Amino acid sequence: MTKDKAYEPFEVDQRMVAHSNYWAGEMGSRFYITLRDKKKILGVRCTKCNKTFWPPRTTCVFCFSKLDELVEIGPYGTLETFTLVTYSEPVHPRKAPFVYGIVKLDGADTGMAHFIDEVDFNKVHIGMRVKPVFAKEKKGNILDIQYFKPI
Amino acid sequence: MKRNVAIIGGGQTYHAARRHDVNQVEMTNEAIRRALDDAQMRIDEIDAVLVSNMEFFEGTHMTDCWMADGSGAYGKPGIKITTGGTVGATTVCVGAHYVASGLFDNVLCVAFEKQEEGDTGAILSSVAHPLWGRSLAGAAVGYFAMMGSSYMAAWGAKEEHSAMVAVKARQNARKNKYAHLKLDITIEDALNSRMLAWPIRMLDMCPASNGACAMILADEKTAKDRCKKPVWIRAMETAHNEQFELDWRDVKTKRPIFSKVCASRIYKKLGVSDPAKYFDVFEVYEPATWAELVWYEDLGLCKPGEGFKLIEKGMTNIDGPIPVNPSGGVLSTNCIGASAMLRVWEAALQIRGDAGGHQVPKDVNRALTTAYGGTNWAVMTALSKTLD
Amino acid sequence: MTKKEKELISIPITVNVPYRFAAGKYMTKFLMELKNNGKILAIKCPKCGRVQLPPRVVCAQCHVKNDEWVELSHEGTLVAFTIMYLPLTDPTTGKPHKPPFVYGSVRLDGATSVLDHLVNIEPTMDKVWVGMRCKVVLRPQKDRIGDLSDIRCLEPLPGQKKPRG
Repeated sequence: MTKDKAYEPFEVDQRMVAHSNYWAGEMGSRFYITLRDKKKILGVRCTKCNKTFWPPRTTCVFCFSKLDELVEIGPYGTLETFTLVTYSEPVHPRKAPFVYGIVKLDGADTGMAHFIDEVDFNKVHIGMRVKPVFAKEKKGNILDIQYFKPI
Repeated sequence: MKRNVAIIGGGQTYHAARRHDVNQVEMTNEAIRRALDDAQMRIDEIDAVLVSNMEFFEGTHMTDCWMADGSGAYGKPGIKITTGGTVGATTVCVGAHYVASGLFDNVLCVAFEKQEEGDTGAILSSVAHPLWGRSLAGAAVGYFAMMGSSYMAAWGAKEEHSAMVAVKARQNARKNKYAHLKLDITIEDALNSRMLAWPIRMLDMCPASNGACAMILADEKTAKDRCKKPVWIRAMETAHNEQFELDWRDVKTKRPIFSKVCASRIYKKLGVSDPAKYFDVFEVYEPATWAELVWYEDLGLCKPGEGFKLIEKGMTNIDGPIPVNPSGGVLSTNCIGASAMLRVWEAALQIRGDAGGHQVPKDVNRALTTAYGGTNWAVMTALSKTLD
Repeated sequence: MTKKEKELISIPITVNVPYRFAAGKYMTKFLMELKNNGKILAIKCPKCGRVQLPPRVVCAQCHVKNDEWVELSHEGTLVAFTIMYLPLTDPTTGKPHKPPFVYGSVRLDGATSVLDHLVNIEPTMDKVWVGMRCKVVLRPQKDRIGDLSDIRCLEPLPGQKKPRG
């Protein structure tokens, strides 16, 4: 038997590109439109469970009731947890360093993940009170809240 | 099976090209609420929730996690299943295994697709091997076109035969209030529709639909206590094809093709010798007209090479002796992740006598459903009215 | 007050993921022989004798290791085809294949498996048929990259006519 010829391992670099368009539905649209046009943040209330959810949804995760009672939440909130991002990756929404945290808006029972800017990296802490800064040019997406900052 | 499993309820959405009024989970929730109502069951009686759709078609992964509120999965066991086009049927199989094992009594199976939201062509091309065929990967239409051309060359079928399938599907869909493409078309319309890839024309292909289906499976005791018309899952089968081997389109191939292997195994389990007589109705997975003709032959409803004669003689019409796809099939509604579950659910409706406008006009005691996964494996499910 | 049509929001998202794909031993040998020497290699199962394309390590039917390499002819027979009228995008370049074009499935002489590729022929039904003899056309060696596109297309062998019937 002849000895098999050796081949260098062959690798190729490719990309996978896919476009999609997420429809927010009627309730989701009311959230985005109210944020864009009125700078107000909406959650949805389950009267049975006495909970207010953000983002608004049409079914209660706990009791499976249909939900339709939109209520204003925030705009102030409390930082529940955070991280200081110190490395950059192409998929990151921003270049490091930046603070990213979960804000529980007043009146809501669930948190919202967002950027925390205009903050001293040494002073950011759990329990910190924050408020939203709205984008000047609004586009009908979650970045109409540009970021949160300490009160 | 270790324990008998019944379908005790189900529901579907009104399938459509556009559903901007709901997001993915809200759309799916419509089918789930209908299924719970149909089974007269509350979500807290459900022991496990299984969710399925096509991987990444909407640009979203881990949709089971996105859906935990609307699917009712919060706090419950369950998994996400993705087996391509077969996924809805595979999810029913997994659900049936859950119940048959004795570990769960009531399992909710959920399937959806919101096709308008994603770039299905681009995502489907990732099914092709990066170095073997991806540069040529396009859409399912090319594969079914080659199936059609080899079928015509092998058996002498004409374009008129595929047009007959196109017409049957859309005329049946007109009787199904949930179907997407309810078209009052003639054979001439089908033959004059735009050529996409010879011999596949516009009306030979399925639409891109938005929709969902949900089904509730239960053990024998629950089914008998709670359900007036349980439909029993008698056998399930899955068979894979060989990677890279595209000769499944070649109707004369001698190789054991996944669809034929799957059929022969499920028939053996049930002791079926003449499937056209044994089953009263069929719901097959036909993204293209030619696929339906090939199913006739692969399922043994006729001899090889005679599939096109079945449609020619009207044998598979809704009122024919071997009704195939009275619902309108995938050709009329293709919310892909849900399409294979819709085959099972539509077959169950036929057995219950609850199909409404598209109920076949005869006693339905047994039904068989099929599905393709990337046209590389098949899943089949056999249902019956009684347990004997 | 007139009722305004309800506005519904959608959010466009593009996912663009880079990845590095390792061809593996068998595919590497196939692609390197194609790229460097213009050879089309297949693999033969020691048990069932099927000559498989592309070469892979295990015969799916017999569950045994494939290890006999076979050089295939560059000629074969068309077993299926379509004339494509849709401008399908080549996902690896993002550029469309300009329709109409013929896309076919050829069984190269000596192979069990078929190979799907573009067929360089006028896209009319008189010019293409199942059973047509074809040959593969390779890219010039300097342009080959180690991918199935190093086979540029299939081309009909000269001197054939479509059979009647």
